[in-house]
Amino acid sequence: MPPRPSSTSISWPEKPGDLPRDLSDRSELDRLLAEQFPEAGGRLSPLRGGRDAAEKTLSLIDPRRYTKSRNHLKGAVTGLSPYIRHGVLSLAEVRDAVFQRIRSRDEGSKLINELGWRDFWQRMWRDLGDGIYDSREELKTGHDPSSYARELPEDIRSGRTGLACMDGFQSELTTRGWLHNHARMWMAAYVVHWRKVHWKAGADWFLEHLLDGDPSSNHLSWQWVASSFSHKPYFFNKGNLERFSDGQFCRTCSSNDCCPFEGSYEQLEDQLFANQGAIRDVPARRHRNPQQRSGGRQNPKRSGQAAMARPKR
Amino acid sequence: MTLQRPIIWVHEEALGSRNPALLEQPDRPAIFVFDTRWIREACISRKRLGFLYESALDLPVTLRKGDVAREVIAFVERHQADGVVSSLPVDPRLERIAESIEQHCQLDLLAPEQFVDMPRPPRLGRFSRYWRDAEPVVWEGF
Ligand SMILES: Cc1cc2nc3c(=O)[nH]c(=O)nc-3n(C[C@H](O)[C@H](O)[C@H](O)COP(=O)(O)OP(=O)(O)OC[C@H]3O[C@@H](n4cnc5c(N)ncnc54)[C@H](O)[C@@H]3O)c2cc1C
Repeated sequence: MPPRPSSTSISWPEKPGDLPRDLSDRSELDRLLAEQFPEAGGRLSPLRGGRDAAEKTLSLIDPRRYTKSRNHLKGAVTGLSPYIRHGVLSLAEVRDAVFQRIRSRDEGSKLINELGWRDFWQRMWRDLGDGIYDSREELKTGHDPSSYARELPEDIRSGRTGLACMDGFQSELTTRGWLHNHARMWMAAYVVHWRKVHWKAGADWFLEHLLDGDPSSNHLSWQWVASSFSHKPYFFNKGNLERFSDGQFCRTCSSNDCCPFEGSYEQLEDQLFANQGAIRDVPARRHRNPQQRSGGRQNPKRSGQAAMARPKR
Repeated sequence: MTLQRPIIWVHEEALGSRNPALLEQPDRPAIFVFDTRWIREACISRKRLGFLYESALDLPVTLRKGDVAREVIAFVERHQADGVVSSLPVDPRLERIAESIEQHCQLDLLAPEQFVDMPRPPRLGRFSRYWRDAEPVVWEGF
């Protein structure tokens, strides 16, 4: 029997319309959600919510191995993002857990730095409000923004591109609701640069599925890949993907002899972008943020929008 | 004015025991509402709903679905409460909900524990700039 969702109790009476708290197991939760939210597609993720699951995941973090291996799909990344995103664990708790496990600052500085990214994007969101949903700057790809497709192509959405890596990421995204950072970057670059799809279509699709789906981290990272929030577009080549995925996709890929990622960075740059010369050296553009934050109350002072924040490579 | 008999509104950014509203008012009735409009409009998958549900079950909250502000206000009436306490949200969608609640009753928003507590707001724009300000302060706690 699948494990029972844990439950604390409440000390006030229930009323009609309250959703049940006493579920016998996860399949009952799955059925309940299907009934109550018929519009929400898919099944439960194997990743569980709740404090116990969060604490177990937190107990497994290894800041030293993280430093060396975090760019590899099989590296010692923490998997904490859904718990952090929804406040099951606070960033401060995770920070303290890192401090407890290290003997010197060196051992933990990489992981603390990545937690800093989360804090940074949250602060940007406070600053920009709904402005994160719009392109922050002009693209540096040399292509007209209107030339990017507004809809995500069906073969990407359904995992039938014929590329073992991208179809593998699609499968993980739609069943687990979590992807390694490098997989997110590769997939976003493929969608935007190889398929010429507008970053917003890809970003919205990620948010449908990610358990950690967070408009600020997600949309601004997509914009960083697209180059509407960075000096230049992010792209990769087969060698890079093969290396950090330990060749797990390329070995069995049916498109191996026509891999769109094959080539040097220079060759791919020529192929993907219209103003290659400029890509390497674009001056930062600054626009003032025209959006007003809707909430306002505790808003920090609104600074002019500034650019060039970037997720890790 | 300090609320004497508030209810707690728990939202999607604070589904944990460090929620400052739950820490301050551990004995008051609390509610979490699945925002059906957001779920529909953003096509949120069942995976995420399951994650939210399991996380909410670990907290002493009543679970509802529907229009969040309306459900929270109905919960205020159900418990004859004099207002609502919650944690300060970042998401503008949650801020808008907070504003609707506030039109009906007092709402106190408590700031959650910070990752880094800076004497002055750090410079944003670039991560590197922010991190130059923030990193030394984070490490003061080590
Ligand atoms: C296109 C794209 C979309 C993304 N969308 C999201 C999203 O919706 N929600 C989200 O939380 N992260 C997002 N990220 C950032 C990052 O990929 C994930 O936070 C990370 O992969 C989560 O795995 P982890 O918990 O094992 O991370 P770890 O590497 O173990 O890092 C620990 C924690 O630090 C934070 N963190 C680490 N890297 C980043 C980063 N670059 N940006 C922000 N926070 C970070 C997360 O809270 C994470 O749980 C996105 C990145 C890209 C490139």
